[in-house]
Amino acid sequence: MGTNTTIAAARRQRTPSRDRAKPYYRWYVPYVFLIPGLVLYLLWTVYPLFYQLYISFFDWKIIPGQESTFVGFANYQTAFADKTFWLAMSNTVTYAIITVIGQMIAGFAVAVLVNRVLVGRRFFRTVYYLPVVTSWVVVSFLFIYLFSPGNSGLINYILTQIGVIKEPISWMANSSTAWVAIYSLGIWKGLGWSMVIFLAALQGIPAELYEAAAIDGTNEWQRLLHITMPLIRRTILFVFVALMIGGFQVFLSVLLITGGGPLHRTEVALTYMFDRSFGQLKFGYGAALSYILAVVIVVVSVTQTRLFGRRGQDVEY
Amino acid sequence: MKTKLVLSVIVLLFIVVPATLAQDVVTIKFWHTYNEVSPENQTLTDTLIPMFEAAHPNIKVESVPYPYDGFRQALLTAAAGGEGADVVRLDIIWSPEFAAQGILMNLSEKMSDFQQYADAVFPGPLSTNAYDGAYYGLPLDTNTRVLVYNPAVMPEPPKTIDELAAMCADLPEGSFLFSDGGTYGWAILPWIWSFGGDVTDPEIAMATGYVNGEKTVAAVQFIADMVKDGCFSDGFIGSGLDTWGGYFGGTIYSMLEGPWFYPTQESQYPDFKVGAALMPAGEGGPVSVVGGENIVVSASSAHPDEAMEFVRFTQSEEYQLEMSKVGQLTVLSSLLKNEYFVNHPYYGIFLEQLQTAKARTPHPAYTQIETVLGDAAQLVLRGEMSAQEAMDAAAEEIDALLAGS
Repeated sequence: MGTNTTIAAARRQRTPSRDRAKPYYRWYVPYVFLIPGLVLYLLWTVYPLFYQLYISFFDWKIIPGQESTFVGFANYQTAFADKTFWLAMSNTVTYAIITVIGQMIAGFAVAVLVNRVLVGRRFFRTVYYLPVVTSWVVVSFLFIYLFSPGNSGLINYILTQIGVIKEPISWMANSSTAWVAIYSLGIWKGLGWSMVIFLAALQGIPAELYEAAAIDGTNEWQRLLHITMPLIRRTILFVFVALMIGGFQVFLSVLLITGGGPLHRTEVALTYMFDRSFGQLKFGYGAALSYILAVVIVVVSVTQTRLFGRRGQDVEY
Repeated sequence: MKTKLVLSVIVLLFIVVPATLAQDVVTIKFWHTYNEVSPENQTLTDTLIPMFEAAHPNIKVESVPYPYDGFRQALLTAAAGGEGADVVRLDIIWSPEFAAQGILMNLSEKMSDFQQYADAVFPGPLSTNAYDGAYYGLPLDTNTRVLVYNPAVMPEPPKTIDELAAMCADLPEGSFLFSDGGTYGWAILPWIWSFGGDVTDPEIAMATGYVNGEKTVAAVQFIADMVKDGCFSDGFIGSGLDTWGGYFGGTIYSMLEGPWFYPTQESQYPDFKVGAALMPAGEGGPVSVVGGENIVVSASSAHPDEAMEFVRFTQSEEYQLEMSKVGQLTVLSSLLKNEYFVNHPYYGIFLEQLQTAKARTPHPAYTQIETVLGDAAQLVLRGEMSAQEAMDAAAEEIDALLAGS
């Protein structure tokens, strides 16, 4: 009877318990945990995705008891000949390009400034991020009021006061001025998101790099161009791709601010699809339109990643 | 032993009694667009529904208010899902389309006493429920637009369109003689009809020769000229100008409005002096547009009997009178002899205007016809197409819609 026996006894006891632990590492365990999420994903994303593809080949009737007729590719053929749809598509592309560039430049500028703020950084970050988490409906109505016609609109009031324009502008009466409201909303609402991402990237750059460069006699601009930009290159790419996908999906702001009007001239892909589906009850056609848009988004995203995402050009630090 | 028995009896009472009561009570959903900021909705929920529920203890009515924008979509998608309302207050222009979609219950077939109710209402509003030889609802309220003017800046209302146009010469900078919110049917049809024009032939078979006829073209050209000269506001081309705001602010002299204008005016601008006159007359006379709502039962309702009982209630003098007090003009012809209407401060002008007012094309494709007409007029008002050219193109498109393609 001594210490040895006690240790041996303890060992003997420990070994079986380790064996008993084994069943918990059986191969199916991770799948069990994955199943709930997978089922929901299949049910609410994958199934509707294919069901919609199916619908797009029909003259689809939504009312129970009415028969839907198979029309093959007719909906797609109509779409390719539909001038309003292609206007809506080109409006969508223009919207995406203008607002993405706007959000990236503004977001980056704000990030650089906020990064330098010593007191109240969190305050500025929150203030600029606030529009991102605010509902599209709320901010769209806000912009409708800002861009009201006549002298009652705040934008008109300010512009006439400072002498930029002589007469108040009826912003929503023409597509060119209506876009000003829609673009500025898109940029203003989204810049906080790119700011937060850029800010995180900026804070990840070691301060020694800037110090060394400063000793070498570089100016601010050179440091921005030759140190900051190359080091956050992947972040810029990520923000660009994510914003582009979002830009193509612009919907609520246009629906609420102009409703696609006047004369369908501010229609974007999703508002037009919504109008055909829920306004005119052409659900098969609407499904075809959304599939064409989906193909365009996939092509654009893949191209972007290919163009900008080549490895080997990254700077290591 | 005794206490146990008493206890179990009490427990049984608690379980069984509410269960049997609950079995009998049926809840019906009533979807409507009664304005939540005007007193209409309050009258419905505070006065009328309690009145109905007191008389029908087995029926509960759930009032579901919707904003008008998007209501059509909400109804159609709910119908597609086989869910939604039992009873709906439906804009009269949607009745033919909804009936054609098979969403509405055929009341002339399913309601044994339908004829009795049909006989009690004005024939015009009743006709908006007709589709394919049957009736899919009953009228609930009717209205039309009259010229509401501001006597402070427009002492005498214009009797004719020419008189109105002549007032343009003295109009101060920044003011408008008249304003409306766009070129949709509700806005431009009174002008087209008063000019003597129309959208289709009386049989609703043909638009060519009507929507592109001389008089319709002249009406559209007139509005375009007035907007161009700054006499009518650019609200017509969709600037989003707040017409009521301009009216109460004194910069918009007149507008076409329905009876719901008064309750809102009385609560928000009680001291404002309002003038009302008939739509200015043209060659076609002083013609305005008939509006209003029908009461319909959803074809998929799980409680059709209770729903129809509520429909009967909406046709009662109590319901019609209470709603008339908040701007919902009655459809019961018998009620007009009631002293409430005889002594009413403003309904007189609406009842007079209704004598000549016309209904928008009662056709299942009305929503699309209206889009074609409105877009064509919009091109003219923007000076992008001549009135004749735009209306010729519209005639062709509307002909195709009427032919059912």
